[in-house]
Amino acid sequence: MASLKLEHVKKVYDKNVVAVHDFNLEIQDKEFIVFVGPSGCGKSTTLRMIAGLEDISEGTLTIGDRVVNDVEPKDRDIAMVFQNYALYPHISVYENMAFSLRLRKMSNEEVHRRVCEAAEILGITEYLARKPKALSGGQRQRVAIGRAIVREPQVFLMDEPLSNLDAKLRNQMRAEIILLRKRIDTTFIYVTHDQTEAMTLGDRIVIMKDGYIQQVGTPQEVFETPKNLFVAGFIGSPQMNFLKAKLIKSGAQYAVELYGIRVPLSAAKCEKLEKKGVGGKDVILGVRPEHAQLCFDGAPNAIEGTLRVNEMMGSELHLHVQLQDNTPVILRIPTLELTEQQRASLIYGSKLRFTFPEKVTHLFDPQTEESLLY
Amino acid sequence: MAEKKIPEVDIIVDEKAGVIKEVKPQQKLRSKKGHERRINGTIYTVLTIMSIVWLVPFVFLVLQSFRSYQLEKGGMVDYLLPKTFSLDNYAFLFEGSNFFSWMGRALLIAAGCALVTALLVHAAGKWLDKRDGNGKAAGIAVIACCLAIGYALMVALSCALHQYALNDCLVKALILLAVFALVGYIVARIYLKQDSKLLRSIPGYVAEDKHEGAKKFGAMALEFGAAFVILQMVLTPMVESQYLKWYGNTLTIALFTAVIQTAIVLSVSYSLSRLRFKGRKLIMNTVLVLGLFPGFLTMITLYFLLKQLGLTQAGSVPGLILIYCASSGMGYYISKGFFDTIPKSLDESARIDGATRFQVFLKIIMPLAKPIVIYTVLMAFMAPWGDYVFASYVAFGHQDGYNVAVGLYNWVNTNDYQNYFTRFCAGGVLVAVPITALFLALQKYYVEGVTGGAVKG
Amino acid sequence: MVDLNYLKLSKPQKLLYNAGRFFKSIPGRIAGGIKGLAMSVVRLIKGLALSIVDLFTTFRDGDWKTRLSYLVMGSGSFARGQWGRGLLFFLFQTVFNLYMVNFGIAYLGKLSTLGVVETYKEGRKTVYGDNSFLILLYGVLTLFFVIAFIYTWRVNIKQNKIAQQIVQSGRKLKSTKDDLQSLVDSQFHKTLLALPTLGVFVFTILPIFFMILVAFTNFDYNHQPPSKLFTWVGFENFKTLLSSGSASYGDTFRQVLFWTLVWAFFATFLNYFLGMFVAIMINKKGIRLKKMWRTILVMTIAIPQFVSLLYVSKMFAQDGLINTYLMKWGWIAQPIPFWTNPGWARFTIILINIWIGIPYLMLIATGILMNIPADLYESARIDGANAMQMYGKITLPYMLFVTGPYLLTSFTGNINNFNVIFLLSQGKPMGLAGNAGHTDLLITWLYRMTVSDTNYKIAAVIGIMVFVVLAVINLVVYNLIPSVKNEEDFQ
Repeated sequence: MASLKLEHVKKVYDKNVVAVHDFNLEIQDKEFIVFVGPSGCGKSTTLRMIAGLEDISEGTLTIGDRVVNDVEPKDRDIAMVFQNYALYPHISVYENMAFSLRLRKMSNEEVHRRVCEAAEILGITEYLARKPKALSGGQRQRVAIGRAIVREPQVFLMDEPLSNLDAKLRNQMRAEIILLRKRIDTTFIYVTHDQTEAMTLGDRIVIMKDGYIQQVGTPQEVFETPKNLFVAGFIGSPQMNFLKAKLIKSGAQYAVELYGIRVPLSAAKCEKLEKKGVGGKDVILGVRPEHAQLCFDGAPNAIEGTLRVNEMMGSELHLHVQLQDNTPVILRIPTLELTEQQRASLIYGSKLRFTFPEKVTHLFDPQTEESLLY
Repeated sequence: MAEKKIPEVDIIVDEKAGVIKEVKPQQKLRSKKGHERRINGTIYTVLTIMSIVWLVPFVFLVLQSFRSYQLEKGGMVDYLLPKTFSLDNYAFLFEGSNFFSWMGRALLIAAGCALVTALLVHAAGKWLDKRDGNGKAAGIAVIACCLAIGYALMVALSCALHQYALNDCLVKALILLAVFALVGYIVARIYLKQDSKLLRSIPGYVAEDKHEGAKKFGAMALEFGAAFVILQMVLTPMVESQYLKWYGNTLTIALFTAVIQTAIVLSVSYSLSRLRFKGRKLIMNTVLVLGLFPGFLTMITLYFLLKQLGLTQAGSVPGLILIYCASSGMGYYISKGFFDTIPKSLDESARIDGATRFQVFLKIIMPLAKPIVIYTVLMAFMAPWGDYVFASYVAFGHQDGYNVAVGLYNWVNTNDYQNYFTRFCAGGVLVAVPITALFLALQKYYVEGVTGGAVKG
Repeated sequence: MVDLNYLKLSKPQKLLYNAGRFFKSIPGRIAGGIKGLAMSVVRLIKGLALSIVDLFTTFRDGDWKTRLSYLVMGSGSFARGQWGRGLLFFLFQTVFNLYMVNFGIAYLGKLSTLGVVETYKEGRKTVYGDNSFLILLYGVLTLFFVIAFIYTWRVNIKQNKIAQQIVQSGRKLKSTKDDLQSLVDSQFHKTLLALPTLGVFVFTILPIFFMILVAFTNFDYNHQPPSKLFTWVGFENFKTLLSSGSASYGDTFRQVLFWTLVWAFFATFLNYFLGMFVAIMINKKGIRLKKMWRTILVMTIAIPQFVSLLYVSKMFAQDGLINTYLMKWGWIAQPIPFWTNPGWARFTIILINIWIGIPYLMLIATGILMNIPADLYESARIDGANAMQMYGKITLPYMLFVTGPYLLTSFTGNINNFNVIFLLSQGKPMGLAGNAGHTDLLITWLYRMTVSDTNYKIAAVIGIMVFVVLAVINLVVYNLIPSVKNEEDFQ
């Protein structure tokens, strides 16, 4: 149980490849932090620096109130769960979990107590005598977690722990990690490339790309107020639609114009834009698929496109639409909102019109890719 | 583009189906079977011929070794089967030595002592269990005690049987005791590996049924026996014939080389594979370049160096061990390839769990590296048996310093070749049989190492 | 050329294109190599210069502990309480000083002449003069020692600098206990590599260095220490070995080199293809007793070569079993000169080597064949390939790709394959200048030069030539075979 502080942390590999640039983050005690980003964004490297498996090129890392830059991993009081579990194949599950305790010269009784307790929590008591080879993927995952919890570490690191599991098991384990977190109240740092895991698990999410932090915030924040195009596109599934638009300013009033329609912006948005001193210019307008609404009547201010693919997802439809200038757009429409007739009309090549509420739109600068609003 | 391609593929598939339909499936099947049989027949023939070619020289070798060097003198004679089968040649190899009585005595004494020791351990285990003894230390102590009693018994017996004064073999016995203590400790650790609570894992101790118990007990007695035989053989000297001297030299060299070389190769390959440090690339490149120089180039320098250390001629056994082991670090390639395949996250995980790199090496990697360890030991053990060049150069004509390869080579390439050829055959057979048996028993590991090495380069 | 255009070419066109590209790239590669070399030289000089500058600045900024270390190694570490390091440095300096004063300087001084005082006899007493062998060997050793000392001295100063910085920034220095502990952890490689490196240095690097230098001296039977001196002769020995003439070995060298390469080629590729062929036969579906066939073939690996090869060489001798039986059956009138006719001898050696070599390759090929994914063959069958096509399009490329590096090492190994030649023919039949035989490889010739002829200078040159040949082959192959470099294609 400890807070963590990363100040100006940088990782440079040989030949001047910079994996992580100027990483600044303060992690509260007992917080669940998720590092998320595409592969190669530096999230795993950062985690491994925290673990002590990689040297820190610049900056300082503090755990509790101790600078640990030069401290060996074994003396950092951390535990880590690896992507491929890293179970020791030649010893039993029991010994796997007891390994770290034995190295600490703990008494047999204490080892036994802790291992049994952890096994109980994870429901793997009956497999304790087996070798890891004889376990299924999910069970191995549990053993890996168990091996970390017996340690009762200050910080709990997890490096893509669920990515080797199949989809169903992954959902189940995700829920279990949430429960586990409630039981063993400690600091968690969790690395994943899957935005769903990040959203569901994290107290706060750190979104990274190319070694830079893009945004830090609660799941709610990063979803509702993405700071730039990358975050907007990365969080949410299917990803946000980006449309070319023009921002028009007349007095204190702003409006966007796209595909021949004109949407005036709300007062709140106008105020933010005014404050940032944004003038009239080309912008990128972001709309999440789930916020689009189909218009079957001749409503004004609707965008027209051609339906390319209609994916039936059960409770909703994913419509892949091509706009006049070939921009692809995805719409998520709840099945219940459509009549039988309307659904039948949604076939390949049919023209359709859609619109979206003004308050859920995002505006981005096409050059800097930064949000104009947040 | 994509839309156009799909129908094309469809057409091809249709055509195919049509073609297949035209050939009558039944007919095709039958002819295929006949064809198959013909091919297999050819293969069997080829393989049989090859097997004959491969084995014939060895069969000849064995046959020649039974041709008496006194009655049917000659080198290569123009007939295969000896007119009378005789053990002349083998007798010659052992002439003047008390090998058999020595061996028999050693086996007898060792067997007796091993049995006593095993019984002691067994009884002690039961007793400790009743007392619900407390842990590993007690277990190790008990096993060590039992072994010590067995050992003392053996020393006493061999003293009595060989009619030595106790003093004569006391020094030897003490040195051996040190070795033995180490072996005993390792044995105890192995037996107590899994369950540290008690002596549960001593063989024969908590077996479910009697049969299982007896089997385990037998295994334990055998292991003790093997250890005792070796000790007993070292403890009491043998009167050697020339051939046995060479054989003993080679065996000594091979055993030491196997142990030392394996340790060196594993250290180097482990460091280069799993540790990252400055100069790692430099070391690998240097070895690469050094490897391009022919090995015999440096022979005179090596001879000189060994001579300075007094390790030539009569001292050739330690000298050769030194030569074989000194540069063996350069042969790290195959085992490094093996280490490279063990996931790195195992090391990292263990390090986070609190292990030093040494503990990672000992507790995680070594148990996983069993195949490559066996491969390395096997290779290191086999190589000295075949080395002629260094062995002959280091021994430099000093007969007692020869290994079997040098000795037997000289038998064949001597002026008295006619007289010695069949003895060479007999000597060769005695070398080849145990080595071949060992190799075939461990063939699996050899194949693993060789293919792994070839694939990874 | 664009990828798609390249793919459109027919096979010969592709070959032509690649060959053209290869030849065109040669000047570029050579230029690149020279540039790389120049760059590394520049970097080395730069590093040295920086190092010297650092020596000055460290001295300028250093406290008395650091400055004292310039003179007495390890004193700074002692003064800062790191007595373990200090002791090591100090001991090293002491040993070095003692060595230099007692031996080193004397040997270094004589290195340029390799000794001038002749050994002579005074009545019945021999008065020994300089020993060129010892001067050369210890001279080289001393040189290494000096370099090691300079390096250690530099390390010693660097450590002082770092330690001083640490103390100034208020952090704690590593104690001797920490240092010792790090030997099983962060510095574990030092523990593991110390002994092996020492072994390789004393028993490989030092001797090789010594022998390279011997190639530039006249160390032979006429100049054997301790009774005679030898001295530097420059490139004289290289001239003797490479040029043609009555007193030179040029013709012999070319013949031996040619045979060495021919031998290595056959020993590698013949065994390779035959071994693969045998492996495919044994592994074919429906062939029984796989294990037995394999075990029988493997016998030639298991049985020590000096037994099997010596026996077989006698079998093929003039009065050996083969000849006597062939004559008995009336197939031949005269014994076949297996070992006495140069052509026959070479042929027999290659033939017998098949017997020794096939099993080895059979094992390797078996392992690889089993690794080829079965779905490759299934897919090929569905595409309509027959057995030959599957072999040509899947098995062979896969094998060649995977074993590319192995073929290279195997070729290298065969060039240095002493045992087979020595145990079978000892290089006979003789008859070339320089006491070489028609089946001699460079390595066996080298052996004879060393052991029977004691012509060390030429032996050393031959050794260097072997190195050159192998280095060239390795460089070319590394640049030509893709699989040596990239290992991803088939995985």
